[in-house]
Amino acid sequence: MKNKIKVHRAIHNLTQDDLAKRIGVSRQTINTMESAKYIPSTALALKMARELGVSVEELFQLEEGE
Amino acid sequence: MKKLPLLPHVYQKIGAILLLPFLALGIANSFFDYELPWLWFRRLSTGKILDFNTNNLTDELASVGIILSMMLVAFSKEKTEDEAIQFFRLASLQWAVIVNYVVLIACILLVYGTGFLSVMIYNMFTILIIFNIRFRFVLFQHNKMNA
Repeated sequence: MKNKIKVHRAIHNLTQDDLAKRIGVSRQTINTMESAKYIPSTALALKMARELGVSVEELFQLEEGE
Repeated sequence: MKKLPLLPHVYQKIGAILLLPFLALGIANSFFDYELPWLWFRRLSTGKILDFNTNNLTDELASVGIILSMMLVAFSKEKTEDEAIQFFRLASLQWAVIVNYVVLIACILLVYGTGFLSVMIYNMFTILIIFNIRFRFVLFQHNKMNA
């Protein structure tokens, strides 16, 4: 699974720390999600999409074969 | 995800501090036969199961103390507890159970006689020990990667 968290974070001019505080996780968790090492729960994905003003599908995409 | 019940973060430090004296007591008791002189129960006797007549409770105190303090360390919230940390905790627990039983199976097949009694005694603590080490290591990596 790939994601565009970093891109949308940059569009909103948010640091990892800013986004982390807004959705109630640690900065490290934002980092592991951006590098696709941790896949968030649906609830967290929805919160992130809400903060970044995009849909979850825009934020996360399945890779080919998944 | 439904949050799992965990103790507040402060209990982690309490557990770590309590672990040291209990661990020292356990080591002193099992390797140097040290017994706390005031923990002899000579008069109290409540039947065959709880026969304190000739028993010193130092080893009981040390075992229960070690287990409880390790559980405090294991099942307290982290400073910033989030779902990734919860995932790491559960994954570490699974890892610890598997490693523990692989080692135990090896010991069952390889260790006999009174040596096996020692294996069983250590096995009382190994799941928690392996879990705590694994979980700390995973958290260390999680934090280091982001430093």
